[in-house]
Amino acid sequence: MSQTDPNRTYVESTIIMTTVRVVVPFVFTFGVFVMFHGAESAGGGFQGGVIVASAVLLLAFAFGIEPTRAWLEGPLAQIAIASGGGTFALIGLGALVSGGAFLEYPAYGFGTDGVKYGIELVELGIGAVVSGVLVSLFFSLSQGDFQSVGSGGANSNSNGDGDAAGGERA
Amino acid sequence: MIDLLATHYNYLVFVALVAIGLYGVTASPNLVKKVIGLNIFQVGIFLFFVTSGYVDGAAPPVVHGDAVGTYASPLPHVLILTAIVVGVSLTAVALALIVRIYGAYGTLDEEAIREVQTE
Amino acid sequence: MTDAIALLVVVPIVLALVPIALGRLWDGAGWVAAALAALAHLGLSVTVAAKVFSTGRFTYAVGDYTPPFGIELVTDGISATLVVLVSVVTVAVVLYARRTGPDSNSFYSELLLLTAGISGVFVTGDVFNLYVFIEITGLATYALVATGRSPAAALASLKYLLVGTIGASLYLLGVGYLYIATGTLNMADLSTQLQAVGYDSPLVLTGFALLVVGLAVKSALYPLHTWQPGAYAESPDSVTAYISALVSTAAAYALFRLVYAVFTPAFDAAVPFALDALVLLASVSVVVGSVLAVLQSDLKRMLAYSSVAQFGLVIAGFSVANATAVTGGLVHLVGHAVMKAGLFVGVGVLAGVAGGRTVDDLAGVADRAPVVSAAFAILAFALVGVPPAVGFAGKWHIVLGAVEGGRWGVAAVAVVSTLLTLAYFARVVERMYFQDAPAATTDTVSGPDATATADTDSALTPDGGESGSESTDDAKTTGGSGITIEARTVVVAAAVGAVVLGLFASDLIAVFEPVLEVYFQ
Repeated sequence: MSQTDPNRTYVESTIIMTTVRVVVPFVFTFGVFVMFHGAESAGGGFQGGVIVASAVLLLAFAFGIEPTRAWLEGPLAQIAIASGGGTFALIGLGALVSGGAFLEYPAYGFGTDGVKYGIELVELGIGAVVSGVLVSLFFSLSQGDFQSVGSGGANSNSNGDGDAAGGERA
Repeated sequence: MIDLLATHYNYLVFVALVAIGLYGVTASPNLVKKVIGLNIFQVGIFLFFVTSGYVDGAAPPVVHGDAVGTYASPLPHVLILTAIVVGVSLTAVALALIVRIYGAYGTLDEEAIREVQTE
Repeated sequence: MTDAIALLVVVPIVLALVPIALGRLWDGAGWVAAALAALAHLGLSVTVAAKVFSTGRFTYAVGDYTPPFGIELVTDGISATLVVLVSVVTVAVVLYARRTGPDSNSFYSELLLLTAGISGVFVTGDVFNLYVFIEITGLATYALVATGRSPAAALASLKYLLVGTIGASLYLLGVGYLYIATGTLNMADLSTQLQAVGYDSPLVLTGFALLVVGLAVKSALYPLHTWQPGAYAESPDSVTAYISALVSTAAAYALFRLVYAVFTPAFDAAVPFALDALVLLASVSVVVGSVLAVLQSDLKRMLAYSSVAQFGLVIAGFSVANATAVTGGLVHLVGHAVMKAGLFVGVGVLAGVAGGRTVDDLAGVADRAPVVSAAFAILAFALVGVPPAVGFAGKWHIVLGAVEGGRWGVAAVAVVSTLLTLAYFARVVERMYFQDAPAATTDTVSGPDATATADTDSALTPDGGESGSESTDDAKTTGGSGITIEARTVVVAAAVGAVVLGLFASDLIAVFEPVLEVYFQ
């Protein structure tokens, strides 16, 4: 099944498969751990999102890109991107509704705890966007099919990265 | 001179990376190598920013209890984080474009593409 | 509602996520989201403009973090006008792209991201935030240029990407130098801190040079303009109209803010060489752009080189540091956006009618598309600088300011560029009106007379001219391979807008005056 496309070079290696099978859960957990620790220590959405995406990439390299894509089929990446961006916007706009400025965490009325958890929620959203974008980009690029831009979800997805960056600094 | 090299070597590395990156973008005919050169160029700039924010003997900018002693400013790091993400997105778009160009022209050599375009 | 200024950026981004989320279920999600976003953006920008015109300049601290620790969004008369311009162009392009341009979900998503980026550039008051928004703009533009179907579009987009990223990285380096020198990123704070550091320190001077070069790449000044002809020519017509109107405008506006809000005119007094060099660069750009435009046969490339020249003129106006020239530059910035967008949409329509994109292909097209040709001719002459359109108002003030400041070179260059602009536009108008279409036996005798009166009528009374030309033509219904009603509306609206802006140019200048008074105390 992994040899369907003659241009693709996939070498089935027992060492890689076993190692990846053991390592990937820890990499994924580490990625989520980094995502959760953006507010008061090193870490954050971008870094965590990239690590989570790299876990998926490890799987793709070990077991073949086509099977991994089939396993992750469906709107998962799109949902991750939309919900991540939506979380960020919702938290910002919610602050507006509660009577503060855009993205003013204290306006929610929870004090310094509110600020910390607000930042962490936003980091989780950003992590979702980044991992969704990177995973879908990887699968689109490996497919190599950009003849029609209607299917070029890659274009709009890669923009999600930039806008998350802008939103974060903004 | 040696004094300069010993203490400000981060600026020398920055200049070297920027020069290598620019050379890669302008002089190499392969499109992927141009994108690699662009990345090296950007990495040089990030290096400059981050190393210029170095404070000798400073603590990480997290306050536990009283705020005593020197703290390093987190601002350069945050700026560069944003810039890195922007750089990654740009590399992604560039690679997607290169895949499409390869599919259309069958080659990644800039001169060959130019010949195909002008004929 | 002061939050409108932050919502200007947030609303398009949020609505850009909608086609991504719903794209699988509903194909029309893109256009509906884009239309909603355009209308919401228009409402928000009008709210912001109304607030600025009634109470003056106001600021907004994002997250309520007081500047200079937090990011500040600033609106005054200039940014309010430009934000309204963004809304109007977005509405026009969303209308136009529905039937003409690419109509896919990803296209609308990228367009909304571009809207958010450009609005961000116009309202931000923090130099690093400006970098982020410039990069968002660039990213969306690269993706939009690549929506053209030919592989040359992908190549043009890649070239734009490589050159534009280097420019933006140089801008980032300049921001870094200024940050190292002063420790702050807020524009208002920087202006005081830079003065304290001293304008002749090498750090500040290098920072200025890097900032200017970075923004010159983004606004396509000679010799950093090489990405522009390819990007404009290969992208779809709706995309070209949008990016020609707004992307380089954003970069030129950023340059204006940097030169006047961050490096105040005191910098020019201390180090006159800096702005002198910029004047020289801009003047060379004007001449070279105009000359190269005359040499082009492809219409879109011609208009792209014309943009190079016009932006050279605008930046020359900004660099001649007195209020009149800067006013002229700003008026020309706004007017050029309207005129160029209309011209590119007109080129798209006329090329569709004529079947080709070169100047020669347009022979006799005025008979098959009279309304659009008349609007195109009006826009062309407005860009040349025929009074009372807005092109004249802008250029007049730039020349006046140049003479006031003793910069005879700029005045001469402006006159030369006007003559060259007339050369390449008169060529096109002549082909359209005074030459026969290749296969038809059209009667061209009555053509020039009717359109000459239509021209003068439209120049004096826009409504009268429009209805006049409409009653004399019958090719509208029979003719030209489906000129959509949206396309015609957009071109005619642009022509009317150019003339109306010219007639009310003094009001526009009155809006800009309070801002410039602060800078030119």
